Amino acid sequence: MSARWSSRSVGSRLQHAIFYALIRFAGTTGAYALLAIVVSWYTLRPSVRNRSKAYLGRRFPAAGFWAMLLHTWKLQWTFGQCLVDRAAAGISGGFSFAENFRDRLSFAAEEGRGVILLAGHTGCWQLSPTALAEHAGTRVTVLAHTEDGDVDRHAHEHAGTRPPYETLYSREGVGTSVALLNRLREGELLCIMGDRVEGDAEPAVTVSFFGSPVAMPCAAYRLASASGAPLVFTFAVRTGAMQGTLRIAEVLRIPAGLGKNPENYQPYAQRFASELERFTREYPYQFFNFYDLWG
Amino acid sequence: MDIRTVLKKAIVEELNLEDVLPEDIKDDAPLFGEGLGLDSLDAVELTVLVQRLFGVVMDDVEAAKEAFASINALASYIETRKS
Repeated sequence: MSARWSSRSVGSRLQHAIFYALIRFAGTTGAYALLAIVVSWYTLRPSVRNRSKAYLGRRFPAAGFWAMLLHTWKLQWTFGQCLVDRAAAGISGGFSFAENFRDRLSFAAEEGRGVILLAGHTGCWQLSPTALAEHAGTRVTVLAHTEDGDVDRHAHEHAGTRPPYETLYSREGVGTSVALLNRLREGELLCIMGDRVEGDAEPAVTVSFFGSPVAMPCAAYRLASASGAPLVFTFAVRTGAMQGTLRIAEVLRIPAGLGKNPENYQPYAQRFASELERFTREYPYQFFNFYDLWG
Repeated sequence: MDIRTVLKKAIVEELNLEDVLPEDIKDDAPLFGEGLGLDSLDAVELTVLVQRLFGVVMDDVEAAKEAFASINALASYIETRKS
């Protein structure tokens, strides 16, 4: 099974620039106002609605056409707000991340072997590494995937600063793997996304998500098994305008020596999928995988 | 047992390489991609294995990438750092 996704935005570079200018001169209020119009326009386009149809159809199986139109609008609206908040965080600052996750991650410093944070594309996930770097009391590394032609800019790119965390790119293969292990050995927090498979070459396992099979990546579990680092399921939540928090769903200890076979990691990936599904039950409009995971 | 023999035996056993015997691994064949066909995640396990078996920490990413070119390169890396 190989579902295709892209990190590229639906909006053009010009459209993004208009929003960034609006944030700069009219604040998030002005940007949200334009966003409402843009989201309404995009919701009317079947090509955009189709991108969330597979998820919303399973999350709201009884919804008719008009109800589904509203669900699509709400999903796009929430996503758009997260993007506005991210840009505003870099342009004018002021994004507030509740620090209630600090205590639940304090064991990382005590054990001294680093922690792998496995996240979903939820809420204000793009701002969570900054929050971790500023509040968790240890260095943070993000394992990222980018595509040519990405126009979305991160908060620090707007601010013209370096991010308060390190980024490693999955495409760099062996070097990235060694660097990840070294970061864990130094007691760092390592942020990896757990709900999207990057291409056909990435090791993945089949899990049940909303009652149907999907592929989810298993590299993070293998890294946890090899390194001995605990693995923590985390989901970012947008709690309001320019506000967010990080939910710590579960802390896992993957046994050492599970080796190369992806199927050995299936039970752990299934637990992640189950937690992610539970998250979407509570926050249905904060799950941002705009492609058919089941395709 | 010399370093190359220990490495080959450990790679086959700990990376669960089915249908591969230690003696099948050539000293100068690529370990990743072609040759033995290890992937980037195998690099993590290989790094842990080298530390456990030989007490050598592979903390220099560029040096580690060169060391992972072949059994010969890895053995040479280990010999240099053990002494």
